[in-house]
Amino acid sequence: MNSKERLLEALSHREPDCIPIDFGGTSVTGIHVSCVAALRDYFSLTKQPVKVHEPYQMLGWIDEDLKQAMGIDVEGVFPRKTMFGFPNENWKPWRMDDGLEVLVPEGFRVTRDANGDTLIYPEGDTTAPPSGRMPKGGYFFDAIIRQEPIDEEKLNPADNLEEFEPISTEDLDYLVTTAQAAAATGRGVIASFGGTAFGDIALVPAPFLKHPKGIRDVSEWYISTRTRRDYIHSVFSKQCEIALANLEKIHAAVGSLVDVVFVCGTDFGTQKSSFCSVETFRELYAPYYKAVNDWIHRHTSWKTFKHSCGSVERFIPSLIESGFDILNPVQCSAAGMEAEHLKSTYGQDIVFWGGGVDTQRVLPFGTPAEVRDQVLARCKVFSQGGGFVFNSIHNIQARTPVENIVAMLNAVYEFNGRKP
Amino acid sequence: MVDLSKLYDAVLNGDAKTAVAVTKEAIAENVDPMELVNKYMVPAMDEVGRRFECEEYFVPELLLAARAMKGSLELIRPLLVAKGAEPAGRVVIGTVKGDLHDIGKNLVASMLEGGGFEVIDLGSDVAPEKFVQAAQEKNANIVCLSALLTVTMPAMKTTIDALASAGIRDRVKVLVGGAPVTPQYAKEIGADGYGENATVAVQLARQLSAQ
Repeated sequence: MNSKERLLEALSHREPDCIPIDFGGTSVTGIHVSCVAALRDYFSLTKQPVKVHEPYQMLGWIDEDLKQAMGIDVEGVFPRKTMFGFPNENWKPWRMDDGLEVLVPEGFRVTRDANGDTLIYPEGDTTAPPSGRMPKGGYFFDAIIRQEPIDEEKLNPADNLEEFEPISTEDLDYLVTTAQAAAATGRGVIASFGGTAFGDIALVPAPFLKHPKGIRDVSEWYISTRTRRDYIHSVFSKQCEIALANLEKIHAAVGSLVDVVFVCGTDFGTQKSSFCSVETFRELYAPYYKAVNDWIHRHTSWKTFKHSCGSVERFIPSLIESGFDILNPVQCSAAGMEAEHLKSTYGQDIVFWGGGVDTQRVLPFGTPAEVRDQVLARCKVFSQGGGFVFNSIHNIQARTPVENIVAMLNAVYEFNGRKP
Repeated sequence: MVDLSKLYDAVLNGDAKTAVAVTKEAIAENVDPMELVNKYMVPAMDEVGRRFECEEYFVPELLLAARAMKGSLELIRPLLVAKGAEPAGRVVIGTVKGDLHDIGKNLVASMLEGGGFEVIDLGSDVAPEKFVQAAQEKNANIVCLSALLTVTMPAMKTTIDALASAGIRDRVKVLVGGAPVTPQYAKEIGADGYGENATVAVQLARQLSAQ
């Protein structure tokens, strides 16, 4: 069984020869650049600076030699442009505050403010207001909120639709090239085409736009889901129309090179509760997810991937009904998200892609023995009958000890009864 | 004569326009500002908290109620100061050094204000010495620390240590909160309490202020 077959078997709710492993396939299943560098050292791979392919969360690109060393079964296809709107090309060196030398795309243009914070610019244009900030000594960027004063009378849903447009030939060609390369590896392929998230709060401030208009403040957006629901529906409705037309073009171009589509990263869960009620989810979001997922299922062989952090147990029946095949990151530490409960209640109907180890406590702060125990326990629960892809709960965060990441990998190999 | 129950309803329903209008009317009619706070706004925010706890309310409703309450409080605060009214406590709050996430912290700050506390909000990415300085200058009795990232959680301990080094640790109670923070972690770093959400934070602040 090769990696692709292994992934497809797991996604079909059948037990593959061993649990497939994803790291680096998406922007929510990745590894911080510093940890990728540490893993390269651990596996004694060629000394080279790691590429930051996702500059918002500073995720490191996992090169082929490291993929092989880690036994990764999934290959990612990403959009041509990053969260800050510049293309992922023409790499140049950059030094992080802790001294780590990395590679960043040419468009990664930054300045320092008086506090020593790093400011990054949309499309690499330093004449535009900065759209991201990394605190001095920090490891990640956060969006800078650029909210124009809101005039209720003049609010126009088109202002929140600037980033959704028909896919360009250049972007489409890029997807085709990268999907071909990904498929040629023999791994399963997960693609992030973009445009189908509907209200992903990380995208609302639009760090990729030079002068975002409409509702771009995070709190204002949350408030609008309650007070300006017609406006949000108008945005989602038009966004959906554009997304479906793009999916048609993308599918015609990449077809079955892709196995899974990362449809949506909108977070609905908090640590103990949720951002809205199930009723709101069903009224405001589900119709658009269903339209996208139904189109995908009617026209393609792709499986649909939903990411939502936090306590989302209450939404799972609606997610399944909306056509999602896969749930990520499966935050077992959040309220009501116990692994056994999720697997026994929903395991027949949805694949768990994640849930392998807790990245808030056990992986960064636990001992290697604690990491091993949790990974073995999670693999035992989630792998029964297939329907499980191993990944940590969200990206592996900066400053996670490499010994713990290795303990995590070794525990999966131990459970699988084989090393890469 | 102004119907003050409308102030309660406006805060509860997150109707900032009405909250401000009723407050203006009440002030014009010389209603005691303490009465507005204690009889209408605090109970309204308590009810908001209760609804959040039992999941009738979610983050958007909390934000709306906080906005309504703030609009009203901005009118009332100068009157309270003029009267020399004592707040339920003085809270210095901020997101710790290296962390820019402030939605949770802002909610806690608003709920504390709505609960009758004087809140000194230092913002996000706040250095330990700034917490110390503000706690000293404002004579705070509570310091609230927020963190969202695992990499910035250790800054909570650094801040608590800084309060100790400055000799004011025994004068202030420290509350911590944020997604990756747990009661166990709060205990390990020597905090006095862990607020798993904004409502619990207000309850804890009240308990600690009463001690």
